[in-house]
Amino acid sequence: MDITLKEELAVKLKSFNGITVYKISQDRFKTNTINIFFHDTLTRETAALNALMPAVLRRGCEKFPTFKDIAVYLEKLYGTSFDCGVAKKGEIQLIQFYIEYVADQYTQEGKGMFEKAFELLFEIITKPVTESGIFKEEYVVQEKENLKRLIESRVNDKVQYAVDRCYEEMCGDEPFGVYEYGTAQDVDKITNKQLYEQYNKILGSLPIDIFVTGDTEDARILKMAEKFSSLNRVNIKNIKAGNISKQIEEVKNITEKMSINQGKLSMGFRTNTAPAEPDYYALMAYSILLGGGMHSKLFQNVREKASLAYYAFSRLEKFKGLMVVSSGIETENRDKAKEIIMEQLGEIEKGNITDNEFDATVKTIETGIKSLKDSQLQMVDFYLSQNMAGTNDTFDTLVQKVNKLTKQDIAEVSKKIKLDTVYFLTKA
Amino acid sequence: MKTKTIEYSRLNEKIFSYEHSSGLKVFVIPKKGYSKKYATFSTHYGSINNSFVIPGESEVTNVPDGIAHFLEHKLFEQKDGSVMEKFSALGSNPNAYTSFNQTVYLFSCTDKFDENFRLLLNFVQNPFITEESVEKEKGIIGQEIRMYDDDPGWRSFFNLLGSFYEKNPVSIDIAGTVESISKINRDILYKCYNTFYHPSNMVIVVVGETEPSEVFKMVDQLIVQTGDKPEIKRIFPQDSPKIKRNYIEQKLAVGMPIFQMGFRDNRLDSRGIEALNHEVAIRILLDMIMGRSSELYNRLYDDGLINASFDTDYTLEENYAFSMFGGESRDPEAVRDRIAEEIRLIGKNGLDRNRFEQVKKAQMGKFLRQLNSVERISNLFITVYFKGVYLFDYFDVYDRISFEYIRDIFHEHFNLDNMALSAVKPV
Repeated sequence: MDITLKEELAVKLKSFNGITVYKISQDRFKTNTINIFFHDTLTRETAALNALMPAVLRRGCEKFPTFKDIAVYLEKLYGTSFDCGVAKKGEIQLIQFYIEYVADQYTQEGKGMFEKAFELLFEIITKPVTESGIFKEEYVVQEKENLKRLIESRVNDKVQYAVDRCYEEMCGDEPFGVYEYGTAQDVDKITNKQLYEQYNKILGSLPIDIFVTGDTEDARILKMAEKFSSLNRVNIKNIKAGNISKQIEEVKNITEKMSINQGKLSMGFRTNTAPAEPDYYALMAYSILLGGGMHSKLFQNVREKASLAYYAFSRLEKFKGLMVVSSGIETENRDKAKEIIMEQLGEIEKGNITDNEFDATVKTIETGIKSLKDSQLQMVDFYLSQNMAGTNDTFDTLVQKVNKLTKQDIAEVSKKIKLDTVYFLTKA
Repeated sequence: MKTKTIEYSRLNEKIFSYEHSSGLKVFVIPKKGYSKKYATFSTHYGSINNSFVIPGESEVTNVPDGIAHFLEHKLFEQKDGSVMEKFSALGSNPNAYTSFNQTVYLFSCTDKFDENFRLLLNFVQNPFITEESVEKEKGIIGQEIRMYDDDPGWRSFFNLLGSFYEKNPVSIDIAGTVESISKINRDILYKCYNTFYHPSNMVIVVVGETEPSEVFKMVDQLIVQTGDKPEIKRIFPQDSPKIKRNYIEQKLAVGMPIFQMGFRDNRLDSRGIEALNHEVAIRILLDMIMGRSSELYNRLYDDGLINASFDTDYTLEENYAFSMFGGESRDPEAVRDRIAEEIRLIGKNGLDRNRFEQVKKAQMGKFLRQLNSVERISNLFITVYFKGVYLFDYFDVYDRISFEYIRDIFHEHFNLDNMALSAVKPV
């Protein structure tokens, strides 16, 4: 049963003062979302400042001066969800604000949920609680403490930690090696005054993307977005993507010890392929074939045949042109696992790809892309990423391009992939 | 073919159901406009069923911990190789999970639903387990267990259950231990399969844009009759009504302590709509007492005792029930003492009716949001179904629930004698 799906595009409604407003139309969800992204260049100097800013803003605004006031208001709006924070895509740090509210038809209160939700986001972002011209000191002190703890707690999730640390070691002298929350020392040094200055820079000069999902009329969206024109915005910062290619002199071997039961092996690769290059689609397929599902070479060989691991995956960092392979193993199996992993890369380079593996890879990608449409946040992330990478693919064009790939394309792109760093988290 | 349709017009949802002659129940929840189709085939058998009487026998059979989960892994192996490859060839994602009460086999696809659905029904009905593959799986599951041993959230959860109960198997890790799974062999796996995988103990749920009558037709063609509906006798050890201990601590490589705490609930008889009422009441109470809009949450946050990771939950099943709340904290014991103090205070001063109305409204909105996801609908539907109710009935419960009812439940549930704390602290 083949169903051709209606193409869902992110339509650009308006662009002004470095602010771009997009709408993704849909009416099948019970809720709708508004997402606001500020784009900044990732640097050691500003990472912690940018991470601290949304943490302080979410504590209160003029209309709702405490966290509790905001929480009570969200409850009154049918349990509307609000969150904010930072993320990194390549060498760009995103400061993001998100709100998800029940669609009008389920509230029995008529229209107006969109306006209320947008208004709240706008208030939180632009009208913080201030004391003598800077942020409320108590909020800054508390959120500095919270941020420091969050940074120290990143070891709690060992699977993610082993991936992040591999990338950090790999890109130690590049902006990508900066953790998006900064370091505890960076946070310690931040003063309220400095944070407030950075806040003004963020509001005044960073490019902003606003994504609205749902069936709200364009005019209503534009009317609310217009509020942002009250901001004094000049010299909008030009945000550049990071460097992709890098010559590797020698493979780095890093071992980190911790009190743990299971070892984690992460191998970092340079793909030397940017998302806007034509062979990026082959790279996508390469990573799925290597370690993106049950049909993949890593799953079949590291897990099913050698019985060494429960998980073994590969994952691309699209914007920086990196790939990581990671697996949880007994610590004494490090070399054996590494050997099997490298063998799989070798097989692909030699073109040893079965028809089954290839077909499954293409279909897995196709299913993955189509599935994104069932989540508003994933749709937003898809189009945001397209814009950032300068690729402008839609769900349909992407599926078409992937379906044109050949085994040869995958073997060809594999030649550009070079091992950079082997990171091993092992027992203390 | 006798089918039933229930319409929930306020939610804009429908449930189509059909009972196969074997006793297997089938449900279809169409989601118009969705790309994904998500199908599950589940058995009412999970990690807690490690002691039972096989139909036709008189002696009790005890099996190694972790066997339901082990069987879940092994079902993917088929006579002609792994069924994963066949799903992969269709571009769909097969998966399975084992919880305390259920084992769920599933796939999600955007294309060729019928072929995927046939595969699912076939492989779950046709185990092909060899001694050799059992031994191989011990290495894989061993690593799964080791991964969870390093997961502080998982550890604090199970340590809390171990504080609530002395004998209840719910406190045993779902995957068992490296030691317990070493005792698993082909024969015991087949014994468990033959006991618990009778269609009458199972349910199929399909969520997505599908035609219910087509789904039912395929079920009719593919479900094999396997004799009369057998009676499975599940044995549960009797626990004392008192909790085993009120504090437990484990050291792991964490940056900041992680904790879970909560109240064991001794009310285990409730099923049907009564179970939903009870669950909703406690969820509302948890939000009223310590949700983000509460005084207590904000005081704890301002004093640096909790952060945004703090969350609450409630579980009510046939043989166990408990509330649970926690997250990261520099001082879990202080959080516990403050929560206990607040509960004493509320016991004396009473609950706030306005807060009740407000939290109720917010939770209805949160419930609606879950209906956006085909996976979420399916997972929730199965859990609720095994209690004898339908997922969408929640909405009516929210409509009807009264302040007086939750006030009674407060006094019943939040008994400080039943409260325990589990902390994972840095090495």
